[in-house]
Amino acid sequence: MANNDEAVDFEPDMDDLMDDDAVADEAVAPSPAAAAPAPKLRSTITGGDYSGVKKTKGRGFREAEAEADRNSRFAGRDFDSLDSAGGPGPQRSIEGWIVLVTGVHEEAQEDDLQIAFGECGEIKNLHLNLDRRTGFVKGYALIEYENFNEAQAAISTLNGTGLLMQTISVDWAFSNGPFKRRNMRRRSPRGHRSRSPRRRY
Amino acid sequence: MATAASGAAIEDQGEFYLRYYVGHKGKFGHEFLEFEFRPDGKLRYANNSNYKNDTMIRKEVFVSAAVLRECRRIIAESEIMREDDSNWPEPDKVGRQELEIVMGNEHISFTTSKIGSLIDVQSSKDPEGLRIFYYLIQDLKCFVFSLISLHFKIKPI
Repeated sequence: MANNDEAVDFEPDMDDLMDDDAVADEAVAPSPAAAAPAPKLRSTITGGDYSGVKKTKGRGFREAEAEADRNSRFAGRDFDSLDSAGGPGPQRSIEGWIVLVTGVHEEAQEDDLQIAFGECGEIKNLHLNLDRRTGFVKGYALIEYENFNEAQAAISTLNGTGLLMQTISVDWAFSNGPFKRRNMRRRSPRGHRSRSPRRRY
Repeated sequence: MATAASGAAIEDQGEFYLRYYVGHKGKFGHEFLEFEFRPDGKLRYANNSNYKNDTMIRKEVFVSAAVLRECRRIIAESEIMREDDSNWPEPDKVGRQELEIVMGNEHISFTTSKIGSLIDVQSSKDPEGLRIFYYLIQDLKCFVFSLISLHFKIKPI
C-alpha cells in the first residue's frame, strides 16, 4: 500500500480541467507519459494524467466518441451558482441554511428529526430520503433553517449525539469553496515531493 | 489487507469522483441529465431538455466534505465497484447511461442503455449486477436532487 502515498494530488487548478483547451494542451506538453510504461487513460477528470489509479474497469474507457461528447457537454459552459464570498465556511442557500445529518437510523421517522432538530429553530424543509430498494431510510437527512444561528446551533448541539440508538453526525451541507483535503497532504511522506509538471492552464 | 482497513480509513482515501449521465438524442435534440461530484467538493448538475418549454438548467455549488463522505458511503455500500458492465445492455437509440466513479485506487466507467423498470433488469444477462446499478442510480439521483432543490429552490426534472 506504500504506493498510495503517490496518489494523485488534486490541485485547486482541477477547476479548469473541464475546459476544452485540455486536449490541445496535451499535444504540446512535453509529457512525462512518454517515459511511463503503461498507456494512460483519459477521462473527464484526469486529462490522461491520473497515475494514482491502478484498476480500471468498464466500457466507458473504450468509447472515444462518447468521451468527446462528454467533454463538450461540460466544457466552456456557464453553470449558475449562488454568489459566494469564496474561501472556507458554509454557504447560504437561496432561502436558508442547510445541514446534513448522517448516521440516521433506517427506521427513523420525520417526527423523530422534527423533535430533535426543531429545538434549534423552525425547520423550513426536511428531506428524509429512502433507500429505493429496501424502502427504509437511506441514512441521511437534509434540514433547512432560515437563520445561520439556528443551523449552527443544530450542528454544535446535535453532532455526535444519539438518535434512535445511533450516533448521528451533523454538519453543513454546502461550502463557500473547495475544501482542503488535509488527509492527502498529511499522507505525503515529504512536505514537497516530485510530481508531474503543473498544468499550464 | 482489506480487513485491516477500517471503514474510516477507506473513507479517508482522498481520491473521489463521481459522474452520472443519462440521455438520448431524438426529435427534441439532445436531452440529458448529468451530475458530477468533483474531488474538491464541486457538485455540477445539468439538465437539458428541449421539449416544449426549452429548459436548460446548469447549476454548480460546492458541497461540504460531509456530503462527499455520505456519497462515498452510499457507493461503498452498494458494492458497485465489484461489478462489471460487460454483460449489461449496450447503449442504444433509446438512450444511454454512464456511471464513472473513482474511489481509492479503483476507477470504473460503466455504460449501458436506459433501464425502464426492473423487468429490463431481470431479462438482462447480468440481473444481479444491473440491479445494483439500477438502485444505486436512484439513490444517487435522490441525494443530488435533494441537494440541488434545497440549495437553488428549483425542481430538478
